Amino acid sequence: MEKSAKKKSKAALTLIYIFLSFLAVFYLLPLLWVVYVSLKDDKTLFVSPWALPEHLMFENYNFAWTAGRLGVATVNSALVCGITLVLCLLIGSMAAFAIGRMKWKFSGAMMAYFLTGMMIPVHCILIPIFTRFSKIHLTDSLTGLVLPYLTLSLPITIFIMTGFFQSLPNELFESACIDGCSIYRSFTHIALPLSKTGLFVTGLMTFVANWNELLLAMVFISDDTKKTLPVSLSKFVGPYNTNYSQMFAAIVIAIIPTIIVYCMFSNQIVDGLTAGAVKG
Amino acid sequence: MDKLLRDKKAITIFIAPAFLLFTFILFIPICQSVYYSFCNYDALTKPQFIGFENYRQLFTIDRTMKIAIKNSTFFLIFSVVTQLIAGLILAALLTNIKKGRNFFKNVYYLPCVLSSAALGLLWMFIFTPKLGINQILAQFGIDGPLWLMDTKGFIILPMWVIASVSLWQYVGQSMMLYMAQISGISSSLYEASYIDGCTKVQAFRYITLPLIRPMVATAMSLNAIGSLKFFDLIFNMTEGGPNHMTEVLATHLYQQGFKYFKYGYASAIGTVLLVLCLIVTFIINKFVKVDNYEM
Repeated sequence: MEKSAKKKSKAALTLIYIFLSFLAVFYLLPLLWVVYVSLKDDKTLFVSPWALPEHLMFENYNFAWTAGRLGVATVNSALVCGITLVLCLLIGSMAAFAIGRMKWKFSGAMMAYFLTGMMIPVHCILIPIFTRFSKIHLTDSLTGLVLPYLTLSLPITIFIMTGFFQSLPNELFESACIDGCSIYRSFTHIALPLSKTGLFVTGLMTFVANWNELLLAMVFISDDTKKTLPVSLSKFVGPYNTNYSQMFAAIVIAIIPTIIVYCMFSNQIVDGLTAGAVKG
Repeated sequence: MDKLLRDKKAITIFIAPAFLLFTFILFIPICQSVYYSFCNYDALTKPQFIGFENYRQLFTIDRTMKIAIKNSTFFLIFSVVTQLIAGLILAALLTNIKKGRNFFKNVYYLPCVLSSAALGLLWMFIFTPKLGINQILAQFGIDGPLWLMDTKGFIILPMWVIASVSLWQYVGQSMMLYMAQISGISSSLYEASYIDGCTKVQAFRYITLPLIRPMVATAMSLNAIGSLKFFDLIFNMTEGGPNHMTEVLATHLYQQGFKYFKYGYASAIGTVLLVLCLIVTFIINKFVKVDNYEM
């Protein structure tokens, strides 16, 4: 009896592993396929789809990087996301500190005000911001992208950071206060360094979300030299381009930085993003 | 100490940047958007109040809107249901194995952090008539269907394809949410149930499921709002085509607002979207959410 139960559970375990591996192949195969095709010659793609590439066509990448303007776009994306990230962490944790640690009448109401932002789809504010920004010449500029990205990233940042600041022990701030520390210094020298995990998690969420954002960037930017990565990619890869391997190279360029970073820090990233979502 | 924490000047300095940004870039635009939805407004004219005319057109004349609502609803239901089931199954399987758990977890989560725009294009190529799946099917002498261009049926084939791709991309998120909740359940509960002769399946049904119910609500509302906002994958896989058959609310809004520059009309679609988001969140929180059990 005991033995057969054990055998049964072992068989079940094998089945689970087979299922999971099958699924993993299903996840990795499309990504490998795109890399594989991007290294092939466009002509042999249709003639002999299964053959290994005769010589690796790195020109495809070169073409996508320069003529497809993906190089410029990568720099733009990095700039926009980097600036947004820093500003968002600074402004967000300042607000979170005021809400979570300081004592004032409207802190609860202020929190509720920021939290409503999480439920609002970006599509609703697209048209008013676009018309406003085009009046003050903020469309077609990276600043014009940073502002909405920053605002849309604030609710989740404030929410997570408030939780972190509230969990810090009171004694720390009291002793700092006795030593004559000002409220600003206790923010920069006590609260921030002690909430590194929170900053990491929110920074990650903000960066990933903005790096992949397509709609706002597509509406706001029409100048080719200022496009971000998802926009340039969507423009380069489309029905008007007929060279498949170049388009595949462009897709690889767009996703490879994320994949490399993900492979290096996958555990922290997965856990961090989930921790953020759990709290959200 | 108390005096320091009640310092009005410091509070103002801390809260002001976030408050101003939020008010000027989120709150005022939403009010404006609702106002515009009652206006005749395009790129050349100033907004001019016309009452419910935009909404009347939207719900009576506009045929694309009907398709968009149908598709968005399909999307909403499909993603909430499948993500719930697939996410739970994956989470249950992964928490039951020890070796390779991290590897599988990281692989399934990978598409969540990749750009939907790029993945949309990738899948578009997989489903094009000449490349990808149909090329493989042709090797076996099968004529594959036109995955992204077929228009038969109530919910057309491209919608099923796109919905499956979005399930592929985002199921990792739900899986991780459930896993986080399951790992918080005390193992003594399971040990006690095994001593009482409970099987693994029973333990899942009577211990795990009730205890992760609060997370089900969270994950469901995340999925629901995400699927209503859905834009990138559809835009890059079909661009709403063929003949507007795969249009959803977000792509319809984009077309009307930034291809035809009908700002007032597009704002009306945006308002419908906003109301839907609020209703769905409300319903899920009302009927699924329960208080955390003591563990």
